[in-house]
Amino acid sequence: MSESKSAGMFSGRESQGLVLVVDDEPDVRKVVRMTLEKSGYEVLEAEDGEKAIEEVKKGENSMLLSLIITDIRMPNMNGIDVINYYRKEWPSVPLIVLTGFPDMDMATSMLKHGIVDYLVKPVEAEKLRASVAKAMEQREVRGF
Amino acid sequence: MSDPDRTTIVILGAGKGGTALLELFSRLPEVEIVGIADREASAPGLQYADRLSIPTTQDLLTLIRHPGINLIVNVTGDPDLDHLIAAQKHPETEALGGAASKVLWDLVQHESQMQAQLFQAEKLAGMGTFASGIAHDINNPLYILLAFAENIREETDLATIHEQAKSIIDAGKRIQSICQNITQYARAAKARDATLVEVNTTLDEALKIAQFATILQDLSIVRNYEEHLEVLANPDELFQVFVNLMTNAIHAMEGKGTLSIASWRENGLGKISIADTGHGISKEHLQKIFDPFFTTKPEGEGTGLGLHNARAIVKKYQGELSVVSEVGKGTTFIIELPNSATQ
Ligand SMILES: Nc1ncnc2c1ncn2[C@@H]1O[C@H](COP(=O)(O)OP(=O)(O)OP(=O)(O)O)[C@@H](O)[C@H]1O
Repeated sequence: MSESKSAGMFSGRESQGLVLVVDDEPDVRKVVRMTLEKSGYEVLEAEDGEKAIEEVKKGENSMLLSLIITDIRMPNMNGIDVINYYRKEWPSVPLIVLTGFPDMDMATSMLKHGIVDYLVKPVEAEKLRASVAKAMEQREVRGF
Repeated sequence: MSDPDRTTIVILGAGKGGTALLELFSRLPEVEIVGIADREASAPGLQYADRLSIPTTQDLLTLIRHPGINLIVNVTGDPDLDHLIAAQKHPETEALGGAASKVLWDLVQHESQMQAQLFQAEKLAGMGTFASGIAHDINNPLYILLAFAENIREETDLATIHEQAKSIIDAGKRIQSICQNITQYARAAKARDATLVEVNTTLDEALKIAQFATILQDLSIVRNYEEHLEVLANPDELFQVFVNLMTNAIHAMEGKGTLSIASWRENGLGKISIADTGHGISKEHLQKIFDPFFTTKPEGEGTGLGLHNARAIVKKYQGELSVVSEVGKGTTFIIELPNSATQ
C-alpha cells in the first residue's frame, strides 16, 4: 500500500476531499482511512501535530486539505492547545475530534471553540461519515 | 523576634481547640508560634506540637510572662485564666480569651471541615481522571477491534481479512492487559499488614532491581543511611515504592549522574530521600506527576501509575510522599513514615 504520499487524483473517481487523520496509533489511522476511502475521500496520515504539518507541506496537499480528524492526546498539550495548534496553521480547515475520552465538559468546551464534532471511540462508520459530510457542507457554506 | 511582619503567638490549651489552632497557625508563614501550654501532659496538642518542633510546656505562667509575645490565645475554656493573663502579661502583649477565642475556634473548625470537603472533592476528581484514563486506553483498541470486525463481514480480499484479523487479536490482547493492570492496581489499594520494615536493607534490595533500568555507564550512587532505621509499612509495598522512585530517577538521568539515597530519623518519623541529578520536572508538570496516567514517556513505555501508586501506598500508612525539583538540576523525592506503632 502506498499511503500518505502527496495526494493526487483519486483512482478514476472524483475525490470527495482530502482528509488529514492525526492519531498516534497506526491501527486507528488505518480504520479511519478504510472508513473514509470507502466513501471516496482521500486520506493523509500523521502520528502527531508536527508530522501533520510536515505531511501537509508535501506537494499540493495544503491547497487540497479539506478536513482534519484528530485525537486530542498529544505530548505536553491539553485538548484546547491541540485545537489552537491547527487553527494557527490552517485557520479555515474544519476540525473533528476523535478521541477515547468520553468527557462531556471537554466536548462542550471544544464545540465552543468551533470544532465540527467531538466523536468518542469506538465510533460507528456511519456516524463518522455523517460527521465528515457535515464538515464538508460547512466548508461549502462558508465558501472555501 | 521583632520582625514587624511576623506575629508571635502563644497558645494556652492543647485540647481540641488548641490543636486546631496550632494546625492552622503552623501553616501561616506570617505567624510564629513561640509555644503551646497545657496543664495535662497528655493533651493531644502537645504531642502534635512536638512533631512540629514547637516548644511545649505544662507551666502556663512561663508562656504568659514570656517577653516579646504579640498575642496570647487562651483556648483552655477557663475564665479564671483570663484574669491571670491580664495581670501577668507584658503590657505590649495582647490577649484573646473568652468569647473572642471561642469565635476564633469556631472559625477554625469551620475551616477544617471545608478542607475535609475539598479533600474529598479532590479525591473524587482523581477518580474521574482515573476512570477516563481507563476509558481512553480501552476505547482505542475497542474501536480498532469493532471497525475491522465490521469490515471483515463484507471484505472479500483474503489478505486484507488476515491482516485485519491480526489487528483484532492484538487489540483484544491490549484490552486484556489493561484489565490485568487494573486488578493489580485495585489490589495494591487494599490495606495490607503493616510491620516494622528495615529501611536500609529494603533500599539496597530495591536498588539492585532498579539498576536494571539502565546500563550503568556514568552513574554514581551515594548512600547515606541512618543505622537500624525502621518504619511501619508493608515490606512488599515499600519495596515497590522504592523501586519505582529509583527507576524514575535513573530514567531521568539518562545514564549519567548521581543517585543519592539517604535515610534518617526526624521528629519521630523515619525519612527516606531519593535524589537524582537528572533533567528535573517543570512547575507545570510538578502538579500532575501524582495523577494517575500522567506520563511523559512514549506510548507503551510508561503507564503513569507509578507515582500515583507510590503516594497511595505511603499515605495508607499515614505517611507522606513529597517532591522538590529544579529543571536541569535534578529531583528529590522524600518519603516520611511513622516509625513506631504509637504514632
Ligand atoms: N526523578 C524524576 N525526574 C524527572 N521526572 C520524573 C521523575 N520521576 C517522575 N518523573 C515524571 O513524572 C512522570 C510520572 O511518573 P510515574 O512514575 O507516575 O509514571 P511513569 O514513570 O511515566 O510510568 P511507569 O510508572 O509506568 O514507569 C514521568 O513520566 C516523568 O515525567
